[in-house]
Amino acid sequence: MTVQIKGRPEAIAIQWIPKYTFVERLGHWLHTATFIPLAVTGMALYFPFLQPLAQGEAGLFLRMVHRIAAVIFGLLPIVYYVLQPRRFIMHTREFLPRKEDIGWLKAAPAYYLLGKHEAMPPQGRFNAGEKMNGLVMIVTWVAFGLTGIPMWFGKGVIPPELFRWLVIFHDLAMIVAVGMFLVHLYLAVAHPLMWAGLVSMRFGVISAEYAAEHHAKWYYGPQRAMEIWEAKKQEAAQH
Amino acid sequence: MNDEKSPETKMNRREFLGLSALGLGISLAGARPAAAARLPAPDDVAILYDPVKCVGCRACQMACKRWNKLPNESTDPLRIYESPRGLSAITWNIIKLCRTEVGWHFFNYQCMHCTDAACVAVCPTGALSYDPMGFVSLDRNKCNGCGYCTQFCPYGVPHLQVANPLTGAAKSAKCTFCQDRIWAGIGGPSCAEICPVSALTWGKRGELLEKARARVTELRAKGMNARIYGETEAGGLHRLSILLDEPEQYGLPSVPKTPGLARAWQRVIQPLGTGVFGAILLGILGAFLFVRRKIRMEEVR
Repeated sequence: MTVQIKGRPEAIAIQWIPKYTFVERLGHWLHTATFIPLAVTGMALYFPFLQPLAQGEAGLFLRMVHRIAAVIFGLLPIVYYVLQPRRFIMHTREFLPRKEDIGWLKAAPAYYLLGKHEAMPPQGRFNAGEKMNGLVMIVTWVAFGLTGIPMWFGKGVIPPELFRWLVIFHDLAMIVAVGMFLVHLYLAVAHPLMWAGLVSMRFGVISAEYAAEHHAKWYYGPQRAMEIWEAKKQEAAQH
Repeated sequence: MNDEKSPETKMNRREFLGLSALGLGISLAGARPAAAARLPAPDDVAILYDPVKCVGCRACQMACKRWNKLPNESTDPLRIYESPRGLSAITWNIIKLCRTEVGWHFFNYQCMHCTDAACVAVCPTGALSYDPMGFVSLDRNKCNGCGYCTQFCPYGVPHLQVANPLTGAAKSAKCTFCQDRIWAGIGGPSCAEICPVSALTWGKRGELLEKARARVTELRAKGMNARIYGETEAGGLHRLSILLDEPEQYGLPSVPKTPGLARAWQRVIQPLGTGVFGAILLGILGAFLFVRRKIRMEEVR
């Protein structure tokens, strides 16, 4: 699809290619809309300086919000699987680590801090950083469920010793998930090179130029992407 | 860097310092002050229980229910010696029947009012706190019903009064040492005040310990394997007991070990979160300020 502004066809002509389905985008934003309340209401019980928020009726309300949000947060991936099972499986598979991720991670600091893109090996639909984010989200989603559900329904049923460990692991999962979320939020909202991410999460599309540059293995296919990358490297070496 | 840019850079630096200080402040505010390393003072109030004097009349249970306005609880008609079955949100004081080496004994079970209390350590609202007089007080208005106290107490004392199991609306409940009586100067805990045989007595902890030691000597002279429970357990309890056998025979832990995980939560997990978030936020801030000078949006494709 090409977007053109009337009267000035030469000014902006961006070719867009689809990246996320409507269900994926809605799921992403519902996940955001439940993750943030979950983190905020949970932290009221976690950080001593938030103690006034946790007391009495306010605390009861926070705990109820936590549970309502938890139900939606927990069901979203399942709904996604039911609605678009093939996309779900494809998506999850793409998060699995590969060999070239190491090269990407090595080149990442120069890329993110200085904008140097040359050393970045070609990536698929998700780069190694996005994969890390995805894997952390999957693992912590499972951990939140495995620890949270027994804490909700098992109090007084499961042994107290187990409950104590559940509290600790729920908190550890929170530290990992919120830590990752902060980085994710910064990259999505504030980092100049990542502007395309927010666009594709809003409209479901990505500019072809951006995709060719940042997700070459997805855009060109693995073989062609490697050929282009090797050619570029040789060219750079000659100069 | 050209001259035009330098004022902006200065602003950045000032912003950076200000925001770093903010981050550091948040990190420090997040560190909970180390739990009371205080020792139980001889002037603290305490209760002493002497099972040899106890006749199991349960006047203490009744007095507790009456003063604290706790409703009746249905019980198992076949278990006439222990009724109700155990502590609950509406039963804060109970006579248990325990089998020891020297035969069957009554044992009064209630909150032990630890000096190093797991419930206080994990309570996220401050509803459970140490009273200056030493006992563990409970402010039900502050409680949000999270129930951590019920799961971390090594004695299984606090119980949740659950209003709605689905939303989690609840309030914690436990023996408060009749804090309202103490604060109002009406007298001591109603269980100890009513005990007709002085099996439960209350007073200054130092004096009660002396009394307990004398009693232990006396019982040992009679050939009983008597000992004091609560002098050092969990930092020193404000409910002292004389036992005639191992604590386990009375359903008490020899070494109340729970505060380990409560401490881990308070001293390791909470500061860990503060540290991790602090480090990430500072890192993001640094990256933000650095990147906006190094990468220009005009050049980004």
